[in-house]
Amino acid sequence: MRRSWIGATLLLISVAALAAGPERWFEDVTARAGVAAKHTNRTFHNPYAEIMAGYTALGASAAVADFDGDGFEDLFVTDSSETGRNHLYRNDGDFTFTDVAGEAGVANGNDASNASADALWLDYDNDGRPDLFVVRFGKSQLFHNLDGRRFREVTREAGLDRAGNAITAIAFDHDLDGDLDLFVGSYFQPVDVFNPATPRFFPESFETANNGGGLTVWRNEGNGRFTDVTKQAGFALSGWTLDLGHGDADNDGDDDLYVACDFGTDRFFVNDGDGTFTDRTREAIGIDSKKGMNAEWGDFDEDGWLDVFVTNITDDYMREGNFLWRNNGDLTFTDVARETATYDTGWGWGAKFFDYDNDGWLDLYVVNGWVSAGSESYVPDIFEMITRGDVDFADARNWPPMGRKSLSGYQKKKLFHNQGGQLFKDEAARHGLDSLRDGRGIAVADFDNDGRQDLFVANANAEPFLYRNVAPAARWVSFRLEGKRSNRDAVGARLRLTAGGRTRLRFVNGGNGFAGQSSRRVHFGLGSLKEIGKLEVLWPSGAKQTFAGIAPGRTYRIVEGEPRPRRQP
Amino acid sequence: MKRRAALLILLVWPVMAAAATLPELESRLAADPNDMKAANEYRKAVIQAGEYDRAIDFFKKLVTDHPKAAYAWLNYGYAYVDKIPAAGSITQVILANTALTNFTKSIEIERSWIALFTRGNSYLYWPKIFGRGPLAVADLEEAVAISKKGPQKKVYARAWIALGDAYWRTDQPDKAKATWKEALALFPGEPQLEARLARDGEDLEAYIYDQLDPNKRVDTNLSPLWEEP
Repeated sequence: MRRSWIGATLLLISVAALAAGPERWFEDVTARAGVAAKHTNRTFHNPYAEIMAGYTALGASAAVADFDGDGFEDLFVTDSSETGRNHLYRNDGDFTFTDVAGEAGVANGNDASNASADALWLDYDNDGRPDLFVVRFGKSQLFHNLDGRRFREVTREAGLDRAGNAITAIAFDHDLDGDLDLFVGSYFQPVDVFNPATPRFFPESFETANNGGGLTVWRNEGNGRFTDVTKQAGFALSGWTLDLGHGDADNDGDDDLYVACDFGTDRFFVNDGDGTFTDRTREAIGIDSKKGMNAEWGDFDEDGWLDVFVTNITDDYMREGNFLWRNNGDLTFTDVARETATYDTGWGWGAKFFDYDNDGWLDLYVVNGWVSAGSESYVPDIFEMITRGDVDFADARNWPPMGRKSLSGYQKKKLFHNQGGQLFKDEAARHGLDSLRDGRGIAVADFDNDGRQDLFVANANAEPFLYRNVAPAARWVSFRLEGKRSNRDAVGARLRLTAGGRTRLRFVNGGNGFAGQSSRRVHFGLGSLKEIGKLEVLWPSGAKQTFAGIAPGRTYRIVEGEPRPRRQP
Repeated sequence: MKRRAALLILLVWPVMAAAATLPELESRLAADPNDMKAANEYRKAVIQAGEYDRAIDFFKKLVTDHPKAAYAWLNYGYAYVDKIPAAGSITQVILANTALTNFTKSIEIERSWIALFTRGNSYLYWPKIFGRGPLAVADLEEAVAISKKGPQKKVYARAWIALGDAYWRTDQPDKAKATWKEALALFPGEPQLEARLARDGEDLEAYIYDQLDPNKRVDTNLSPLWEEP
């Protein structure tokens, strides 16, 4: 009798535990999934190599797309060492991956004159197969997806064969002509950083540096070629660009641009709708002197306007604080990072909005940490240089080598749970997402198509993380858009989903976020809602479609102009 | 349109008025470089007008002309401190470091309560890694010792508060608490002391950390020195 009571009690506890779900909602499956290859920073072999080592702990990135069209999201992951091979992880459909970079022809992204820094999937020729742009210090590479298995490098014939020190790229249809244009941000100015002819290629200032690589805009000519239209588009930037983020700030149907810059002022440009942009930095966000690392757009407060999250440096020696730019709806923004408790994430890097618990609110994951090495700190060394007076910062020889010292290292990552659009609460430790590795890029995707968004984190000089989302079941719906008059990837399309009396805004983004491209699928968490009132899709072409009768729990394919969404298998 | 213009005038007027007082105050200081009241008025006007560089240039000339004027050096240092909240994070470091140099010059000339408190308090803003905590303790202990010699003034509470903070930052929490308690007996109802004594552990650390945020303007108004009992 007693034994049966114990048994019943245990059963009840088990049922209760199952209903509540596991306490930890993310599971580290990196090794098991076969994606644990370590990233290695580039080592330079020039007179400034020792100094450069402290400032080039970059290049760990990840980009998501279903390159083979099998319905499962795949991953491209960069390495940066001279002999390091990039990885194309084909999703095998069971949360394991196979590296097919070699046979696909996209593994060779690094050599003596080039170091991979980031990657971007974009269907530049609108053929329905994601092509690949590998962002590099040196010359970036464009790979054409031939058949969902093999790629051919087309950099030269696309007109993109130009040396620079690119660190980030996004793609969106800035001139609304139906194809994706490339926006490439560069860190160093276009010197050969592998064999610099001059030592004066470091930032000239910590707060107002204008001797960086700036921004290049490549217009897609629709015939496989790109043209540099930077000037015509209204850009003349020479800052130390670290990230670019596009989003329709004023809901006028075209995408505006946020440029996050290291060593100086972030920039905000409004799209004039005719292929040109106007610099509205001063009015929109003011002139800052911080170290912008990441530009991620999302409507965190559900007011129907896209907001922007930017990471900066916050440590005991430098208290810059992040920006959470709340969109005021009039092309101005107000920083609410302090009020929302997202101000301090250490030396922040990539940050992504996503709804990890499917409650309908956009949460935020932020990775951080610059160099985690020995126990000695590099801070006094750098401050000694700063306070010396009359130092030419642009001259690399004046910067102290970092050696084995650490700088803002061993920092805990942050998973901010959105508490109703006003406040965020850090839940990283609870869910095992508070790693101490030097995080760089984040890619969000539902790798197992179970309706829960998983995370891939690229770490500098370390193994990455693949976190499987095992949160308790909640309702959701996701959409894969296909443009007809619009660019085929539908980048820039805005979706307004109304359910339970709330309207949520999401959009298809073309690679926002530092060193990490998330899935193009648009995901909505629905909590316990059983019904979706309506879905409104605002296409980049200007077309607007409204759908009703969509059932939760599935992924739908929506083709521009077709009357009904198609259920994905 | 008229309303907007009126609002603009209302906003700009105090700035213009403050800027207008600067030449006269500069003349007074040129005549008496140790005039603390004039210097205090001057720096207050500078903050309102946002004329930080003008003040730095002015005090630089003043100490060049009067190298033995201890309070001119002190205010030269304060001119840098006043600019800190308006600067970027790296410039803040440069300003803070230059301010310290000027405070030291002032102390070399005269070991006054105000100069020792000021330099000791400034050390507290530096991250631990720079090892300036013990220097803060030394200066602030001396400032407190000086304050004990004469009649108490409310303003002296600042040195006691800072000394407790210095102990806290040098991992001497018991000494910190004892210092604040002793100070509260001398300055009953002092809100900053009460706030510290009401907190503990991480809560207290966060509070002190917040008080020492370089992005917040430090109260460099010295008028309590002569206005308060």
